[in-house]
Amino acid sequence: MRYSYIKPRPKVVFTKDLQLLFIFFGVTIFMLFSTYAFLLFKDYRFTQELQSITEEKNQLRTNISKLNEQIAVVEKQSLMSEKIFTKNSVLKDSINNLFDLVPSRITLSEAKIMQDGLILYGITPNKDIYNFMLQAPLRSIFHRTYSSFYPAENGWLRFVSTNYIDEEELGSEN
Amino acid sequence: MKINYSRQNMYLIFMTLFLLLFVLIFSFLVLIPEGKEYRIKKAELKRENSELKQLSDFSIEKEVVLQKLQSDNLHAIKAFANNFSPKRFEKQHRLFFSSLSISKKSKLEDEDDFSVYEVNTTSQISSPKSFYNFLDSVNKSDWIIAVNFPINFKRDGEMISSSFTMKVYNSKESNATK
Repeated sequence: MRYSYIKPRPKVVFTKDLQLLFIFFGVTIFMLFSTYAFLLFKDYRFTQELQSITEEKNQLRTNISKLNEQIAVVEKQSLMSEKIFTKNSVLKDSINNLFDLVPSRITLSEAKIMQDGLILYGITPNKDIYNFMLQAPLRSIFHRTYSSFYPAENGWLRFVSTNYIDEEELGSEN
Repeated sequence: MKINYSRQNMYLIFMTLFLLLFVLIFSFLVLIPEGKEYRIKKAELKRENSELKQLSDFSIEKEVVLQKLQSDNLHAIKAFANNFSPKRFEKQHRLFFSSLSISKKSKLEDEDDFSVYEVNTTSQISSPKSFYNFLDSVNKSDWIIAVNFPINFKRDGEMISSSFTMKVYNSKESNATK
């Protein structure tokens, strides 16, 4: 005997409402967890990258300090070589000037060039030629000039000219 | 008036509230702080990256400077590294002199972090011009050499006897490696 005209609904635990609710919250929780997992992963990667960057930075700093040391060494070598080359060139010019200073009538037999002085040995026809043509320019270069003469076999005069530059006077002139 | 909720509806409401609460608690206590930390670390990484780039550029710049200096001063660098060989020196500079002899080198005090050796030289030249040419050539030789005082020239018949000392400079690093 039938009491109702409709067919009875079957009773289920997961109703349509509950299914909808679970789907909604399921998607939401999945998104939340996946975001959280993404953030955790990114944090981990950032930490790793920061570590490698710090290492790279330290390496670069060491490299830069080494390069700076090398640059300083090369600069020092360059300066030193320039200084020495200039000194050699100045020496060449000084010797050249010295020999140009000696007039043709005076013959040098020996020249000693020192840091602060010059000693010349030679032969001159007479004192006047020596005094006017050699001693005068030497006096203008050196602070102290001493000359001594003694006769040579041919009637000429042998001379020794000793000339000094005083470092103190040179300093005050500068 | 009393509202009657079915048992199923009550479960539904409780479940909804529980899940909502879970989502809220999770979001505010876990996700948002983690997000903030992510942002801070991202900014820090960006800053560190830019610092790294600056350092890397600076390093490249320094390398370029060093390479330029090295190529500009190649002769000086090689010359400072070369160990002085009297035989080789004689061979290279003999053409400026009629005779040339070099004494054994003796060590002097270091100058500005450079090792200095002294060698005495006696030679014969035909004219002072040979000596000037020698001084020019010394600046281009395989060593860094300073011709030093005292320099003596003495007439010896048609020739000029000359004697002088030379200072040979070596970089200390090259000495340490030898």
